[in-house]
Amino acid sequence: MLTTVATLVILGLIWGGVYLLMAEGLNLIYGVMKVVNLAHGDFIVFGGLLALTLFETFGVSPAVSFPIAGLLIFAFGALVQFGVIERIGLGRPDAELRTLLATFGLSYVVANTSFLLWGSQFQSIPFLQGSIQLGTIAIPEALLMCSAIAFAIAIVVHIWLTHTMLGKSVRAVAQSGLGAASCGLDIVWLRILAFALGSAMAGSAGALLIALIPFQTASGSELTVQAFTLIALGGLGNYGGAFLAAELLGLVEVFTQYLYGSNAASALIYLVFIGVLVCRPRGLLGRVGRV
Amino acid sequence: MLDLVEPKDAVRSDVTRRAGLSACVAAGLALLALGVPAVFAPPVSAQDTGPIKIGLAITQTGPFSPPASYELRGYELAVDQINKSGGLLGRQLQIVKYDDQGNPATAVQLYQKLLTDDRVDLLLSPYQTDLVGAVAPVVNRAKKVMPSLAANVEHFEGKYPYLIQSMTQTSRYMAPIIDLAAAKGYKTIAILVQNTQFPQQLAQGIEEKAKEKGLTVVFKETYAPTTTDFSALVLKASEAKPDVIIGATYLADAQGIVRAAKSQNVQAKMFAFSIGPVEPEFYKGLGTAAETVFGTTLYFKTLKTKGNVEFVAAFREKYNLDPTYHAAVAYASMKVFGDVIKKVGSLDQDKIRAEFVKTAEETVVGHYELDQNGKQLGYGSYALQWLNGQQELVWPKADATTDPVLPHPGWK
Repeated sequence: MLTTVATLVILGLIWGGVYLLMAEGLNLIYGVMKVVNLAHGDFIVFGGLLALTLFETFGVSPAVSFPIAGLLIFAFGALVQFGVIERIGLGRPDAELRTLLATFGLSYVVANTSFLLWGSQFQSIPFLQGSIQLGTIAIPEALLMCSAIAFAIAIVVHIWLTHTMLGKSVRAVAQSGLGAASCGLDIVWLRILAFALGSAMAGSAGALLIALIPFQTASGSELTVQAFTLIALGGLGNYGGAFLAAELLGLVEVFTQYLYGSNAASALIYLVFIGVLVCRPRGLLGRVGRV
Repeated sequence: MLDLVEPKDAVRSDVTRRAGLSACVAAGLALLALGVPAVFAPPVSAQDTGPIKIGLAITQTGPFSPPASYELRGYELAVDQINKSGGLLGRQLQIVKYDDQGNPATAVQLYQKLLTDDRVDLLLSPYQTDLVGAVAPVVNRAKKVMPSLAANVEHFEGKYPYLIQSMTQTSRYMAPIIDLAAAKGYKTIAILVQNTQFPQQLAQGIEEKAKEKGLTVVFKETYAPTTTDFSALVLKASEAKPDVIIGATYLADAQGIVRAAKSQNVQAKMFAFSIGPVEPEFYKGLGTAAETVFGTTLYFKTLKTKGNVEFVAAFREKYNLDPTYHAAVAYASMKVFGDVIKKVGSLDQDKIRAEFVKTAEETVVGHYELDQNGKQLGYGSYALQWLNGQQELVWPKADATTDPVLPHPGWK
């Protein structure tokens, strides 16, 4: 019994890490620009399928291909921000709606490009399928790796945002574009950087996740919803909040699945979500207009 | 004569013109053959001598298109072969096809168009139970017989008499797996079921068959189709210590369960899944973890069924691909349709339906036979096992390409 509980706690915590990995890019982009990137899930899928091709043609494992996928999608994200989002009136009162529509359109473009390149079958990569034995508790390797990388990314991004000049400039843009611009910051460039970074995080997350969760090109929208639920629960744009929310969701999911069955688990997650939003409408650690 | 045309206006007028021409030629030939003076010849309308139009909408784009395009290939190969051997009732067949994009509402509109606008003579079915169910009322109201590629049985139980089931019943998919487990003396089963329509019906079939064979279901649980984390579910199933773990699954969840079972080192004598192992991506995604896992299929290219060697060769020649079970059931469906029409000798839909339910025919898929409502009774299913990176047919024994490897040797 004790072993089972311990196993469930560990599994819940590391699945939390996996959910965090899914949501980090979306969180950064929202935090900096108040843009909900609806193509986020499709970036994840694209990154994953890219890793699949690298694996199948060159035998490159996801551990090597995730930075490659990240870099490629970094460039693509920069292009999207520069070519599309900057040009649709970010300063106007209906900016959120406009960016929502633009990224919604983008999600179709990315998903259908993936479809043309890879078809529609579920794909996955056989990588790190064993487990590490901790006494009687088995910890799946791929899960552990995804979580570790998710936590590392969370810490690095947090330090970057709070302790470096560039990161502080990005936060300044988040607080007030006008204020940042009047202090001489190049806010267009900073927004391009933030969107590209967020996209890259989605892409490299995909390259790791595909070893754990099979994707098809249509999976993108589902991943976007999952990621958005998580960051809304944590407090949109808040990094500590996203971490807490991810761990909470991981634990709730694993425990309800074990105790009450898998159907109850999917329902309970949204009940928790609604409960938090009713008591704390800004999410667990949400504040207004802050990163 | 071109037998596959997209229905465009330009093409249609061309067809009419050619139809008129061939009507004259046919009439002339008939007169010559009979040696009757022209004045006594019965009037031959273009309607009766032009090509027989067979209409269908099937998913050619979007996420559900890969299996559907195999079905289309199967249909087209069968129509090709029928045309080469002289067509039906002395007329060539012409396919009129549209793309439903996997959307039931679009499929309904397209079948309405096929019936009222294109005025097709015969209908073939779209891909998947959901789409067949969507178009069923339209097709049935028009009193057109439609041999249907849908596994769930609810459309073939008297509600839509013009629908004919040309595919194995869902509940029979896992029968050979249970059969094999019983033959090996296994006693207990755990069933993991995705809570969508097709897997639910699969699970029902598994339970009935298990009962019949004297196996006990010691664990059964359903999960949502969006589930990605199966670790707790698998742990719980393993606590019931089943001999056999069966998943009523599709591909992604089957892979998720195998991953979770391997990483939690869950042991059972046999692991089997409905849809999943039949797809090549199952092994591609899991690698050696897929070894000795069982799956099912409705058809296999090595089957010694009637005409299968020729079918596989013709399919490879035309498409440079091996036929899948989707291709085979579609091919067999069209072939049986053709044979039924030949026996009836006309396109009278009521006579065709009456002949269909009397038909007992050997096809590449197996024995084709229906009950009075049009439900498929003849077709069965086969057990596959992944061995050394290959799919092998292992049960029933008479059709097996090799012996099954049992019990599961444990995760490496």
